[in-house]
Amino acid sequence: MSLLQEEREVILSNEYVDQFDFDEVTEFVRSASKELFISHHFKNKQKMLVQPRGGFPTYKQQYALYEFFVDADVDVLPLTVDSNTRLNDYGTAQKMLRLSEENDKDMLNGYPLVTHGYRTTRKMITHFDKPVSLRHGTPDARLLIETAIASGIFEIEGGPITYLLPYSKNFPLDKAFLYWKYVEKVCANYSELNEPINRESFGPLTATLVPPSITCVIQLLEMLLSLEEGVTSFSVSFAQQGSMLQDIVTGKVLKKLAAKYAADFNCEEATINLVYHQWMGAFPTNQNFAEQLINLSTVIASMVGADKIITKTREEATGIPTKEANAKTVADTQYCLRILNGLPEVSDEQEEEILTLEVMSIMEAVFNDPADTLWRKVFNCIKSGVIDVPFSPHIINQNKMITIRDAQKNIRILERGNVPISDRCYEFERAQCDLSKDTTGIVNDIIHDIGIMQW
Amino acid sequence: MGAKPMKVVTGVVGNDIHVVANRLIDLSLQARGYEVFNLGVNTHLAEFFDAAVETGAEVLMISSLNGEAEGWGREVKLLKAKYKGLDELIMMIGGNLVVGSGNTEDIIARYKKYGFDLVCHQTDLNTGLDLLEEFIQKRSAS
Repeated sequence: MSLLQEEREVILSNEYVDQFDFDEVTEFVRSASKELFISHHFKNKQKMLVQPRGGFPTYKQQYALYEFFVDADVDVLPLTVDSNTRLNDYGTAQKMLRLSEENDKDMLNGYPLVTHGYRTTRKMITHFDKPVSLRHGTPDARLLIETAIASGIFEIEGGPITYLLPYSKNFPLDKAFLYWKYVEKVCANYSELNEPINRESFGPLTATLVPPSITCVIQLLEMLLSLEEGVTSFSVSFAQQGSMLQDIVTGKVLKKLAAKYAADFNCEEATINLVYHQWMGAFPTNQNFAEQLINLSTVIASMVGADKIITKTREEATGIPTKEANAKTVADTQYCLRILNGLPEVSDEQEEEILTLEVMSIMEAVFNDPADTLWRKVFNCIKSGVIDVPFSPHIINQNKMITIRDAQKNIRILERGNVPISDRCYEFERAQCDLSKDTTGIVNDIIHDIGIMQW
Repeated sequence: MGAKPMKVVTGVVGNDIHVVANRLIDLSLQARGYEVFNLGVNTHLAEFFDAAVETGAEVLMISSLNGEAEGWGREVKLLKAKYKGLDELIMMIGGNLVVGSGNTEDIIARYKKYGFDLVCHQTDLNTGLDLLEEFIQKRSAS
């Protein structure tokens, strides 16, 4: 028996798992409907796929949510997991699920997938026969993704960096890399049976003034960490940044460099998709304004040429959205996409060149780290601040980089910290900023720049 | 400020991961010449006092955004009494100090009873830092 299989048996011999039947699950994946695989849809798509967010505690609620989504002409269903399950606290998830079922009051902020188990969940997924994307935020997702794939969920979001730096203060980053290595291997192995399992990275990170260079570098590194374990279908992603031009430039550079680095790693056969998140920062409380923002995001996603868009709702500012609000966004987004025709080609050579150079010099610094494996190189570079994520709460993050918006609302690097962008790029970035301000002025600008959509 | 900067320990109390204000407090304090020891988000009350002792800080600045500080506030005096040499420590708390809404004057009075010298409920960051400077000047004058 392989080491991986031994580890899988340990992970799945858990008091919260009802007898995991490896052979049966393998057979299920082998003969599963192609419709369940988002990779199949990416291959054959005529339009941008639309995917909302959403997860409720009980089976009945999740089923009802999916019915609403299907009525609204959804392309990809979400399964968002509750926070106890994300932190591997299956005992609490179980207790809270029972309370939710008995009292008709939601005690969980998502669907406790491990608690429901794959036998139950699979009934729902195969009934709707649509691709489902797993949305979570789990540093140790080993049991979760085994349960997901066994349920018929063939897209797994996340990664060791993007699911850790925005969410955790002190979960050890080195452990996260190893736990995600397991996820990649399991996804790669299942991918050989039918259509590939798609892996997707979480580009929005902290959704707070993250410069496109850092977003791109982390997307590319998580892609490479996944491809090197044998994954053959991967989505890089980013969220609306606040400037249409910067989004278009980011999309172009990310696509171009994803293809380049995949080829450098001898993985040019892999399919790389681009995913765009509607605005992930603070939303306006005025629900009509929120709908305008959502609509604008859809237009920009089209300009960017995204393969999939992930939606928000008009209730974003107030809490977990109702299924009605959620389905409404799906219908509205589909409508907007239908009427968006004859989009102009927009480009900015200088911006593209600068961003490309920035990303490549950070990538080069990562590859030049003396460690023996890619994940260790990345680990060292996060520790030393070569990769620095603004507003990450994690203790390993350096927080030396300071970013701010220019007059066009592009995110610019005001202080590069230890991030090794060239002097030429750094001067270009700073030349776009108002350098006359003292720290108090800068802090006030940052507060304003974070809240640009809250009018 | 004199040649030797004043030391401030800061962080977000409890199970509160709201990091944005924490970073901005850090930046603003540094800009005003303080030496900052930032414990970051999700910090337990005891960790604040441990850090104050370890660094010899003059100011402890606790922030809270999700309102749970209310639950921790009551333990402040009890816990602080267990440490030696913290009698002169300037205690400040700021952010969003209740879950839901409440009368600001009542909230300030309540937190002063918990043992805080300066209480800033939903106060602008720079106004809060001005208050701290005034407090320090008054104290050194008396």
